[in-house]
Amino acid sequence: MTRKKVKLAFITNDSARKATFKKRKKGLMKKVSELSTLCGIEACAIIYSPYDTSPEVWPNTMGAQRVLAEFKRMPEMEQSKKMVNQESFIRQRIAKASEQLKKQSKENREKEMTEVMYQGLTGKGLQNLNLGDLNDLGWVIDQNLKEVYKRIEAVKKGASTSSSSSAAAAAAAASQAVAPPMEQKPAVVELGLDPMQRTQTEWFTDWMNSNTSDQHIGYGHADEMILPNFNDNHNANVWPNNFYP
Amino acid sequence: MTRRISKGRQRVEMVKMKNASNLQVTFSKRRAGLFKKASELCTLCGAEIAIVVFSPGDKVFSFGHPNVDTLVERFLGRDLPPPNNDVHNQLIVAHREAGIRELNTKLMNLEEVLQMEKNHGESLQEIRRRANGQWWESPIEELNLFQLQHLKEALERLEQKVEKVAQQQKMVNNLAFPFHTLGSAWTPPTCARESSSYGLNVGAPFANRAIGSTSSVVPNY
Repeated sequence: MTRKKVKLAFITNDSARKATFKKRKKGLMKKVSELSTLCGIEACAIIYSPYDTSPEVWPNTMGAQRVLAEFKRMPEMEQSKKMVNQESFIRQRIAKASEQLKKQSKENREKEMTEVMYQGLTGKGLQNLNLGDLNDLGWVIDQNLKEVYKRIEAVKKGASTSSSSSAAAAAAAASQAVAPPMEQKPAVVELGLDPMQRTQTEWFTDWMNSNTSDQHIGYGHADEMILPNFNDNHNANVWPNNFYP
Repeated sequence: MTRRISKGRQRVEMVKMKNASNLQVTFSKRRAGLFKKASELCTLCGAEIAIVVFSPGDKVFSFGHPNVDTLVERFLGRDLPPPNNDVHNQLIVAHREAGIRELNTKLMNLEEVLQMEKNHGESLQEIRRRANGQWWESPIEELNLFQLQHLKEALERLEQKVEKVAQQQKMVNNLAFPFHTLGSAWTPPTCARESSSYGLNVGAPFANRAIGSTSSVVPNY
């Protein structure tokens, strides 16, 4: 194992080049052999060097001739389908690395913006974000909203079809029960989106956090929850559909 | 979410592998690695190499520098001895080698950037794992109906807020928003790269930072 990274360029120093050639050629032959054995497949390698007129061959001349004969017997298209030279091989690797980079970048961006979204829900300002950030933040919010809508529908459907119609009754009773406490706080209770309502928010989020232990579907603790009195003039589909395929 | 840690370097017994799907995976990886090593040997030492391998599925893969067919013909003795080494030929070779050098450099840079993004991804994962999240950060499945509805409205409000802030910025800069083109309008042309089809500004992972934007998207926990 080398300690230093070798620069991928022709080695100008003659003796260094020859030494490298010897080592790497040996390693290459070993790798072909391993591939053949481990996977039970036929293979051959032919190496021409400036140091020898006759090539070095794996497994041996006869074996290679056999493999090549079989290779040549295949239809032209099959032969060339997976044929590469250095240039095309490197281009393939570049394409693959680009794809991976694109995917990883997207994932990272999504993760980043999700953090921003969570912070936004606690009232942190959006002033530090540029248009690109805002755009992606909007996308992430939209994705989350879609899931929340879906989930709400699923839960509602589950409630109406389940045998626990008592749950529905409990929900109805609960919303009535919580109405009175609601009136004591005429101001809109948000998830801390307005920093002016700080103390209210803190109370609210602390209070919400006390529920984290009972995070399952059910109306059991409806009596603890408040359904805040939001304005209903929102438009869920702000982002044009053609933008988010 | 558990972190997937691969098994790492293991000693492998030199016999045909038993598990068929592992065998296929091994073939794919090792074949690629073999071609990579061959490519390096060609570049480093000026060797001319041909490799032909048959896959477990009886497809054939081949690598050849300068190209498979001429080397095979040469080996099988069906053509003339090694081609002439005159000036014209040398120019062609030199040109080709230069092209390959360039491609190798491009590939190396790309792999470096990819590694950085991967590292970034891991640190983001750590942040999420360490975070003492609020109830709305839990998976949606764990929320009850009231929480869901509350979250829904909070998200909608946040979305409106985003739209508002964006409009303010837009007025300053006279751009259409939300974007009807992909990617960030702030990405300078030199850094511009294609974005994903999902509308995220992924074409410029570092562009925002390069412009010196004050966006602090990674929260401090």
